[in-house]
Order: sequence, then C-alpha cells, then structure tokens
Amino acid sequence: MAVEVPMPRLSDTMEQGTVARWVKQEGDQVVAGDVIAEIDTDKATMDLTAYEDGVLLKILVGEGESAELGTPIALIGAEGEEVPETAARGNGPSQAAPREAEAPEERGPEESPPEPARSEPPIPQGAAATAGEVKASPIARRIAADAGLDLRELAGKGSGPDGRIVKVDVERALGKEGEPGRAAAEPAIAERAASPGPPPSGDEEVVDATPMLRAVARRMSESKATVPHFYLDAEIDMGRALELREELNQALADGDDKISVNDLVVRAAALALIENPKFHRSWHDGKLVLHKSAHIGIAVAVDDGLIVPVLRSVEQKSVRELARESSDLVERARAGKLKQPEIEGGTFSVSNLGMFGIPSFSAVVNPPEPGILAVGAAVRRAVVIGDAVQIRPIMAVTLSVDHRATSGAEGARLLASIKRLLEQPVLLLA
Amino acid sequence: MAEVTYREALRRALDEELERDERVFLMGEEIGRFEGSYKVTAGLWAKYGPKRVRETPISEEGFVGAGIGAAMLGLRPVVEIMTINFILVAQDMVVNHAAKIRNMFGGKVGVPMVIRTPGGAGAQLTAQHSQSLEVWFAHTPGLKVVAPSNPRDAYGLLKTAIRDDDPVLFVENLVLYNVTGSIPEPEEDFTLPLGRAHVAREGADLTIVAHSYTVRRALSVADRLARSGFEAEVIDLRSLRPLDVDTVVESVRKTNRVLIAEEGWATFGVGAELAARVGRACFDDLDAPPERVGGAEVPMPYSKPLELAALMLEDKLEAAARSLLAECGLVEAG
Repeated sequence: MAVEVPMPRLSDTMEQGTVARWVKQEGDQVVAGDVIAEIDTDKATMDLTAYEDGVLLKILVGEGESAELGTPIALIGAEGEEVPETAARGNGPSQAAPREAEAPEERGPEESPPEPARSEPPIPQGAAATAGEVKASPIARRIAADAGLDLRELAGKGSGPDGRIVKVDVERALGKEGEPGRAAAEPAIAERAASPGPPPSGDEEVVDATPMLRAVARRMSESKATVPHFYLDAEIDMGRALELREELNQALADGDDKISVNDLVVRAAALALIENPKFHRSWHDGKLVLHKSAHIGIAVAVDDGLIVPVLRSVEQKSVRELARESSDLVERARAGKLKQPEIEGGTFSVSNLGMFGIPSFSAVVNPPEPGILAVGAAVRRAVVIGDAVQIRPIMAVTLSVDHRATSGAEGARLLASIKRLLEQPVLLLA
Repeated sequence: MAEVTYREALRRALDEELERDERVFLMGEEIGRFEGSYKVTAGLWAKYGPKRVRETPISEEGFVGAGIGAAMLGLRPVVEIMTINFILVAQDMVVNHAAKIRNMFGGKVGVPMVIRTPGGAGAQLTAQHSQSLEVWFAHTPGLKVVAPSNPRDAYGLLKTAIRDDDPVLFVENLVLYNVTGSIPEPEEDFTLPLGRAHVAREGADLTIVAHSYTVRRALSVADRLARSGFEAEVIDLRSLRPLDVDTVVESVRKTNRVLIAEEGWATFGVGAELAARVGRACFDDLDAPPERVGGAEVPMPYSKPLELAALMLEDKLEAAARSLLAECGLVEAG
C-alpha cells in the first residue's frame, strides 16, 4: 500500500510550502532518512526526509509548485506497486482518494494505541458528498441550534477533519469574533487587507508572491494592526565610534571579518537593553516576558525579500565575535541557507539602511519584540558644540516601540543609553 | 508553610502519624537501618525503634499478607513496596484479600492498610522496573488509589490514607521525590480528602487531565501552548479511585476539548476510562472526540534513545494537544 508524503510543517509560521527541487525522482529507491526533496518555506529552504523505506512511486507536486501543509506531495510504496488512479494532487490537508460514501469513516487518533496497520484503505473523503448529512461536532450543533443557524450552509466546509464543522466555524458564521487571537477564527489580517483588486490590464502581470514575501506581508500587517507603535528619534555623534572602528579594523589580521558600524550599533543596543530591563520585555496576552539576554535580530535584505537572523546573547560577545557571526549570518541569509532556529527568538531588532544613504526612517516592530531601531547613514553635519560650530558625522536613529510592553520614558532611557555607548564607544569593548 | 521535597513531605506525614497514633507502624524492605531505598523513612527507625519500623525479608507476598492480618486485628500498617513493579508477586494479597475482606466478612472487619510504592520510568531501569501499573488497582473495587503530584498533596493525602479504614494504594513516582514545594506546619494537622481532583491551572481552550508526575509535564506543555495563544486547563486527578469525574466534566463543559495524559500505557488506562465517562457526560459539549496519550505500547527498552522515544515526554503531549486543537480549527497564528 502506497504511503502519502505530506507537505510537512518545517517552520512555525509556514502555511504552505513550495517544492524547490526533487532530490529523488519517480522510481528511485528511498530509505527512511533520505533527503527526497528541498522545500522552500516562508523563510528558508529545508530538506524533506523520507519516513518510509520503498520506492518513490509518484510525485504529486512538481518543482516550483506549492501545496498547503498536509497535502500529499508524493507517494512512496513497494517496487512495481500500482499507483492508485485516484492519487491526484490534493487541494488540502488529509485529502485522499474519494471513495464510496458508504465506506466506514474510521480514523484512528494519532496517538491511539495500538498503531493502525498500514494496510488500511485510504481515508474516505469528507461528508460534503453525502447528501443530507452534515458532519459537525456536538458543541457546534448545539450552538447552531441555539442560534437557529442551519448547518447545511456550512456542510463540508468546516475546519475539522474531512470538513467537520467545529465550534469556531459556527462562531464565525454567527459573526462572532470567535476566540480572539486565533488564526482560524478570522481570516488573516494580511488576507483581508489584500482584497482582490481589478483584473490586470494589458500592461500588468500577476505573479505568485514568494513564500517569504507572504510571510513578511502577514507578519508586518499583523504588527501594524495589533501592535500600538510609537516612535522616538535621536541623533548620535558617531565621530569616536568611527575612529574606534577604523583603529580596530587596522589592527585586525587580514583574514578577520571587518567590524561594521552595524556591529557597533548592535552591541550598543544589546548593552543598552541589559541596562534597561523595563524596556527589554515582551507583551503577551496580559503578561510580560522579561528577557534576561539580548538576542538581536538584524534585518537583511535578500533577493526580493527580507529576513531577520538573530545574534544570540550579544551582551556576552566581543565586537570581533559579532563581526564574525553577523557576516556569516548575512552570507547564509543571502544564500537561503539559514536554519529555522537562527531566525527565531529575537528580543529586539536593528534595521540599517545607512548603506543606501537614507538619512532616517522608521521601522515596523517585529512581534513579540518590544522594539526595533532604524538606523540611517552617518552624515557629516554642522553641529553646535559649546559655542563653536563643528562638522561631525551624525547618525539619525528612530526607535519604534510596542506601547503595550513599555512606555515612552523607558524608550527614551534606552535611546539615551544607546547614544551614550556609541558616543563613548570604548564602553562597547568593556 | 515549609519548603520541602516530596520525599520529605512523605517522611513528615509518616512521622506525624506514627507520633499521633500508636497503632500505626511501618513495614518494608530496608526501611529501617538503611532508611529505605528512596530514603522516605529517614530517621524513623532511630526515633521509633524496630517494633514500629519493621524490616522485612524480600518477600512481598509475605509482608503484604502480614500487613493485612495486622490491619484486620486493629493496627494501621503502612507497607512500603520498593517500586510498584514488585507488587506483582503480592497481587493475590492485594486484589484477592485486602480489597475484598470487608465485603466478604459482611462488613465486620476491614483492612485499614496503606501500601506506599513508587512507579514511573526514565532512568534506564528497563522493561521490568519502569512501569506505571496503578490502573490495575484502580480497576479493582475495594481499593483506593491515590497518586499525588506535589509535596503538599503527598503530605495531606498520605495522612488521610493512613486514617482511612480501607486499603489504600499510595502511588509515588521516582522522578517526583526531589521535587520541592511548600507544605503546612505540623500544628495545622493538614489533611486532604481522597477522591478530589484539583484544577492545577485554569484555561478556556482545552482540558488536559493527568496524575502523578505527568501533571508537571502537562503544566509545562500548557505554558508552551500559552505562548501560541492557547490556554489549557490542567486537572490533577490526585486520586484514580475514587475518580473525581465531576471536576473533569465541569472543565470540559467549559473548554469543549479534552486530552487525558498518563505515563503508563493508554490502552485500558486512565484515559480510556475518562474518555468513556466524559463522552457520555459531555456529549453535547464536545468539539472533538476525547483524546488520550500515554507511553509507547512496548516493554520499556533499555537503550536511552529508545527509552526517550517510548516515554510520554512533553513533546509527545504537546503534539497531541496541538493536533486536537487543530482538529477543532485552532491553529497557531503566524
């Protein structure tokens, strides 16, 4: 009996994946543990390994094609086994060959002992096909009955297994918000925002957004819609920091990674976060998660997208270590080779557009982080120092803050710490 | 309130009951001079002497039988069986005698005996010494089975068990002995009634039911789920027989979803029992069938990786919880 290979969940946030490449081809032998395909998730390219021994009988989702989580993308079975005619590309999770409606609807729960034999017939298709019969959970039926809702309208379209109507479906149909904070209770904010526009005219073309762009769209829409942002500006005299960087880089061996302005900013931000624990915390449903160590995300522009790898425990690292780690992360980010844990768990982010000559800008908070520092170019400007006018390299920064997690005063203190550390940059080496 | 280990909470309960009632005495292998394999009886032999803290030969059937006889004649024995795995050789004494004597003697004589014994796995003690057999006894009318998950409950329930007029199997857990928590001061004479579950954490989205060490796993999984925005209610059964179904039912009426977790095998287990009871009592409240999760259905392997694969660890429990939530259309928001 052929076994379906479902599109796996390879990152916390992925909803669908794209087959980048089939490593094994139809007819190839596979052993459990073999890499059979490479999958583009919303963030990175990941290996898909086989959990079965056998022969790759059929590829259901071709290279470059996408499928939702759980959708069968290939079949693995015994050599020479006939591929069931019904094996076609599914449109959704758990969708297998449609069968006769009278087939018993048996499905062992995943953990139920003992393991069901592999030789069971394919899971029959949902109730939608069965006329006059609506599959719904008891509580869904009860709520619908109390509200006078006819469940036949939702038949087969529920969120449960095989289209079973569950509580959230009824609540949604009744126009309730459902249970707050749930992906299923309401369409993703990004989807709502992107209402279908007019059909493209002759000089336009519509293409699928990459998984990464979709992830960025979703996260940024959610952030702007749910995180109350406020912004604080500061100007930092980078004269001494630039001198320090120059001196360090001259002293470093040729093979060493050069220290960038951004490395200094990241280090300053980390030390400032540790100095200001009332800023360094995340809002979570009425609770605050206090961060003890500064994990700083650095926004990296990649080909038509954006990814934010995270430097861990920056307060414990020298600028030299930071330079080495950040250039490694940036390089692998551009090559699409970051691993999932490397892009998770940040407690603050730094976004730097100084290299594009942008004098200042403001950035969108990356939840659940409490803030993000937008860094502009260090521009030589006339500034008044004492009673004299001097030309100094001034870097404008803007701190975007989640006002649920912390306050304006705490943000101001954080910025003051960052400014002090960068204007007395020897502290960054302490 | 004093902060003590689970082990110390048990020791204090024994000490206080030995002090309070001279009919109470302890019996078991190496519980005297050696102070017990898990040191639960530390200092008691020195304090109460060999008559009340009795060393026994390695003969579970013999000393459980002796305990039954002593209990029938008016004493209050607390018998320690080194681990629940060794109770099997005394099964006839426990199931055919201790559990049945009150009924078979027309109510004229009972067996006010406590058998204390730890279950649990995780230390590569392999197939014969890694079992959670409490459901065998919870299956048996005439026995009471308690399995506390924390020092306070262990303290209060052991004192109550010793004062109970019927046989009580008091199930501890190897991994729990070093867990700390606060217990009331001796002057309060704190006891807990047998057969009452405890809501260890409140939540609206999913009920997770557990007993003994698995409660701690469930609480940690609840924390993980909370980070995804799902609030799990965790119910600590504390007692398997009597079984507090009402507390579970009340919770499921609120959450509409239930997952029963146990360290032992799920087949014919606590989850099987509760799934049946909840399925009936909460039929119209359920958003998905009751789900259960337990250890892998194999004799426990010795190999560490295989043992880890067989244990009902947090990841397995979390996966079962997320799968149940997903079945109800509740998936993590990106």
